[in-house]
Amino acid sequence: MSSFPSTPAPLDRPGLSRRELLERSGSRLGIIGLAGVLAQAGELGAAPTTPEPTNLTRPRSPGTHPLAPRAPHFTPRATSVVHLFMNGGPSQVDTFDPKPELTRQHGKPLPTRNLRTERKTGAAMGSPFRFRPHGDSGLPVSELFEQTARHIDDMCIIRSMQADVPNHEPSLMLMNCGDARLPRPSMGSWLTYGLGSENQDLPGFIVLCPGGYPIFETRNWRSAFLPGAYQGTHIDTKQTNVKKLIANINNSHLAPELQRRQMDLLGTLNRRHRDRRPGDDRLEARLQSFELAFRMQTAATDAFDISQEPKHIHSLYGDSLHGRQMMITRRLIERGVRCVQVWTGASQPWDNHSNLKKSHADLARSWDQPIAGFLTDLKQRGLFESTLTLWGGEFGRTPVAELPALNGRDHNHYGFTCWLAGGGVRGGIAHGTTDEFGFRAVDDVVHVHDLHATMLHLLGFDHEKLTYRFAGRDFRLTDVHGEVVEALLA
Amino acid sequence: MTTLPESPAKGQGVGAATGNDLAHRRAGESVKTVAAMNVRCLLLVVAVPPLLAARPAEAGEPDHWALRPVSRPSVPSVDTRGWARNPIDAFIWRRLNEAGLTPSPQADATTLARRAHFDVLGLPPTPDRVLQTDRLSEPYERLVQRLLSNPHHGERWARHWLDVARYADTKGYVFFESRDFPWAWTYRDYVVRSLNADLPYDQFVLDQLAADQLDLDGRPNAQAAMGFLTLSPRFMNNTHDQIDDQIDVVTRGLMGLTVTCARCHDHKYDPIPQADYYSLYGVFRSSSEPLVPPVVASGVATSQDDQSQKAYRSELTKRSEALHAFIVKAHTDMLVSSRRRVGEYLLQAQRTLAQPPTDDFMLLVEAGGLNPTVVLRWRVHLEKLEQAAVVEGAVDRVWHPWQQLAALELADSTPFADAARDVIQKWVAAQGEDRTDTPSPLNSLLINALKTTPPRSLEDVSRLYSKVLNDVETAWQASLDEATKASQPPPLKFADNDREELRQVFHAPGAPANIPRVFGWGALALLPDRPAQGVYKKLRKALEDWLISGKGAPARAMTLEDNPEMYAPRIFQRGNPNRPAESVPRQLPGAIRRGPPRPFVTGSGRLELARAIASRDNPLTARVIVNRIWLHHFGQGLVATPSDFGTRGAPPTHPRLLDYLADWFTSDANWSLKRLHRLILTSATYRQTSDHRAAAHAVDPRNHLLWRMNRRRLGFEAMRDAQLSYADILDETLGGKPRPAMFTGKTLDARRSIYGRIDRMNPAALLRTFDVPSPQASCGRRDETTVAPQALHLMNHQSLQILAGRLASRTSGSSSSRTSQLFQLLFHRQPDASEARAVSDFVASFGDESGKGWTAVAHALLMSNESQFID
Repeated sequence: MSSFPSTPAPLDRPGLSRRELLERSGSRLGIIGLAGVLAQAGELGAAPTTPEPTNLTRPRSPGTHPLAPRAPHFTPRATSVVHLFMNGGPSQVDTFDPKPELTRQHGKPLPTRNLRTERKTGAAMGSPFRFRPHGDSGLPVSELFEQTARHIDDMCIIRSMQADVPNHEPSLMLMNCGDARLPRPSMGSWLTYGLGSENQDLPGFIVLCPGGYPIFETRNWRSAFLPGAYQGTHIDTKQTNVKKLIANINNSHLAPELQRRQMDLLGTLNRRHRDRRPGDDRLEARLQSFELAFRMQTAATDAFDISQEPKHIHSLYGDSLHGRQMMITRRLIERGVRCVQVWTGASQPWDNHSNLKKSHADLARSWDQPIAGFLTDLKQRGLFESTLTLWGGEFGRTPVAELPALNGRDHNHYGFTCWLAGGGVRGGIAHGTTDEFGFRAVDDVVHVHDLHATMLHLLGFDHEKLTYRFAGRDFRLTDVHGEVVEALLA
Repeated sequence: MTTLPESPAKGQGVGAATGNDLAHRRAGESVKTVAAMNVRCLLLVVAVPPLLAARPAEAGEPDHWALRPVSRPSVPSVDTRGWARNPIDAFIWRRLNEAGLTPSPQADATTLARRAHFDVLGLPPTPDRVLQTDRLSEPYERLVQRLLSNPHHGERWARHWLDVARYADTKGYVFFESRDFPWAWTYRDYVVRSLNADLPYDQFVLDQLAADQLDLDGRPNAQAAMGFLTLSPRFMNNTHDQIDDQIDVVTRGLMGLTVTCARCHDHKYDPIPQADYYSLYGVFRSSSEPLVPPVVASGVATSQDDQSQKAYRSELTKRSEALHAFIVKAHTDMLVSSRRRVGEYLLQAQRTLAQPPTDDFMLLVEAGGLNPTVVLRWRVHLEKLEQAAVVEGAVDRVWHPWQQLAALELADSTPFADAARDVIQKWVAAQGEDRTDTPSPLNSLLINALKTTPPRSLEDVSRLYSKVLNDVETAWQASLDEATKASQPPPLKFADNDREELRQVFHAPGAPANIPRVFGWGALALLPDRPAQGVYKKLRKALEDWLISGKGAPARAMTLEDNPEMYAPRIFQRGNPNRPAESVPRQLPGAIRRGPPRPFVTGSGRLELARAIASRDNPLTARVIVNRIWLHHFGQGLVATPSDFGTRGAPPTHPRLLDYLADWFTSDANWSLKRLHRLILTSATYRQTSDHRAAAHAVDPRNHLLWRMNRRRLGFEAMRDAQLSYADILDETLGGKPRPAMFTGKTLDARRSIYGRIDRMNPAALLRTFDVPSPQASCGRRDETTVAPQALHLMNHQSLQILAGRLASRTSGSSSSRTSQLFQLLFHRQPDASEARAVSDFVASFGDESGKGWTAVAHALLMSNESQFID
């Protein structure tokens, strides 16, 4: 415990000062919400700026807003996270981890025995996709992500990822919540718990998944034992009518000016009630929450309204489902939303046990331009460095074909690829290696817990000290595991 | 460890007036305040005499206050200047007095009536009821009595209990079966009914843990009580996680003990060794849910004639027998096949030793493939042998040759056949040396086989093992048949040692090939291939469909029953079920045991466990429930961590009062919850105003000492139920099936909130937004957050429009009269001039549409703080 700062870090420490917060609320957020929150929080100057490592059974007093912004343990490199979730598990040997030897052995059994995965696998299956080097770093990327590869010198390819089992559900839980089976809060929930959000007019953790839920549904972004305010808010991005995207965002009975008056009446009643009951900051907090909500009605629809984007931005991202998702993502990040998770779609689209060539090509095509455009756009707006982007699935795929055909791959948790970009990661590197066929990570293995520890580090947290007391012990995202992978840091 | 938070727990730094501090830190005091307190606390640890426990520990008693026996402290004899009304007040007065504080005056009759209604019923009083109390035509004591006998009381307090019981109407994520718990509501109704009937709490506990083993004469529906154990999240049907959840809800829910911390290792802080966890694990592992659970009478007399009942039952029998027969056959097939194919299993298991573990996988195989569960059992077996060989130098008479030959395969310097021949010759020679009196070092049947047919590969060796083992098996089956024919008792073993030890490979308890038969979802492990699973799922679904929705299907109780064979628990190293270590008896955890350990003797031991929990001798049970009741009356517990009474939990603010109440509850009140409610509700402490007093606040800002009543915000259910009540559309029906769309629909369901369906898999966003706890785990105390989505729901959801419209339509007359009626209905007071003016100005802005305006006024009042906070 001695390594933990003996006094809570005050808000005016480097990295996230109160002034900086206010400045950011002026320039970056452009939204009036924050001032209201600061007033509402009242105690922000004395607020719990550092999540206490122990005894923190409740994050803050009931009177304060659970999403009020807070500083982490040390100066963060990134202040927001975008998680591009390729659910179903994209194949590493077809995207970012080329294996010429696999191509040479195509159709033959591997010289080593196949590792056991969910289903029966057979002979080697060379990648049907061509790789070529990109950028100054010359890192090879397959033709599936040609456009994304334009950013390769700013991307950190982790080729040696490892999870625990080759089944979807536990691997989704591990990637999202740090535990394969038991109910634990998601990474987005931990982040909003630790950092609050910089925009009080929007949820701090937003999940975009078009067409419904992925496998395991809302458990992927649950807050478990953390307060409900930290759960992810799911938005079905298949819906294009902005007013219908968010629950209860508009009133179908009162015109805005009449609702404004109704809020004024409510305010009058609440203030009179409060004035007669001094010493109870919950009354003020709830009074303010209606003002926030009223503003949110405009702010939230505004954030999701991509029709405001100019034509050249639309063509940068492409007019497609994922283009729309990524444009929304950028608008959310721009407005200070802490964490945005973007899914490929309902169920598990990348789970190509068969017909991998066509399915992977279609999926990658749907993502390539939107991702490339998103990264370009972040860069041109000066948001790239403060935004940590993670791309990957819950695991990868086997280099050998799933029986009986030779056209699809089984799940593979022994070795797979994720990549990070922005937010203080080292660009233009490929970290770790898999064996010569891409089956198992062999050097510089990065377990999912290590990835989490590293991401928390970039966000300014010691992953061992971002804890929450529940059922008699202090829980954390990485449980008892995880090491920060220094090699990934810029 | 020099961590601060432990200090008060150890050092009893609770004494000073402002003390209480760290461990009592209430919902989210700022950390800075706490940091400041830390320092003070440390000082206090030294300076203040112990007040933590009601009395000091006697010799041989546990160190920790909560584990010491409850004994009744004397009521402080203090002069309260006429304030005290019952013993609670004497304890409260004394602590206030020590801190130089005085209690607050009694609240006015209207405030008290509102407070008591919301507390006891979760519903507001009607204006005429308030008037009655105001005019003293109904004394407060009689009001309390009347409220406690109102059937809505059970609904209000059942909801508190359902948080502890992590109640939900669905299982969470499951792979094959339906997610619904079709009869979860029978448990919910049991709780409501029991609280209304004032079922003694000890009986309430017994029912929930072991109703299947009690004489329920006259209370057949108490079977449903076991939903407490069975309504658990299903963890994709992982047995170990389900049992972990059951241990959690029992130990944390009933006793404030965090036993599940000891699943992987001894508890880090509390006296709970890992062995105690597995003692309880054994109890729950020895129980399972019957495929066809017992019927619960619906409470409504069935008009079904006998004929249709008969038809229903006969179809039920047909379907359950089909499933049963399928499992029996699948199990037999697997046993036969795992013996016949023992060579293949051995080889496969040996190969997986060199591979990463697949213990937790779900593996899919083709029809005819090897069963992964059997492979895993063989693998664990081989690992154990290898460990014994390496660590202890053990030479296993059956498996030593296999181990040696398998090692040869890895060392591929010499051809396998040559190396094998050499080593087999050595074994043959050694066998020969001591043929006479001492037994040969290795199993001679195996050595002979290896000598006769020299293996050229490990595959050959596996085939030899298979042949020898199956020859013995054939001989064994023949001798069994022979005995049957001759009407002799079946033989118990082979006389010949060599044959007997080979027979044991298949028949020893726990042998890899000896897979236990299971009928629950664990049966899927018997059937790894998809076609067989398909058949199983179909049969299972047919049964479930009939159980749930067959013509005339009755509701059923989600019970457990003891298994035919008890499970003998072993400690799982690091919590890994594939690493069983020492055996432990099924027995009580040491922390709640008096005297030496005594293994349970009756069945699973569940009933014995239940009796030990529902006992006056249990130091925790009464303290924990008394504290839970106190928490819901005052908004804060005497112990701030209601489900953790361990050393890491908060120490009590009023240890003597807690012990007094715990003892009074079990003896004087004979476990009657209603008597406990009445004692608390009629105390002067409870009747105080909730007004702020600057001087007292300066001394005790968190009101730990209760110098006033706490103002409380309504939880989600009470908020919603009150709104229905204000709108005069509350459907007061008690009990029944859950209302599917109450929390997800676009419109309004007028039943009380406790009857809305709770989906564990995808909890309604509305519920989580309003801090209804996640039903994933037992919850002793809800969060209380204030976030904009709460306001958005109240502002814009269609249901509020409906409520507001109905509420407005209850009023009529002039503008000032309507305003006055609305204020009476919701706030039980008249509007003042400024309020009345604000309302009339607002309505005026609607011009001709004053009807719409009044709806908007009613809507504003439904959202107001005054309707949400109870003074």
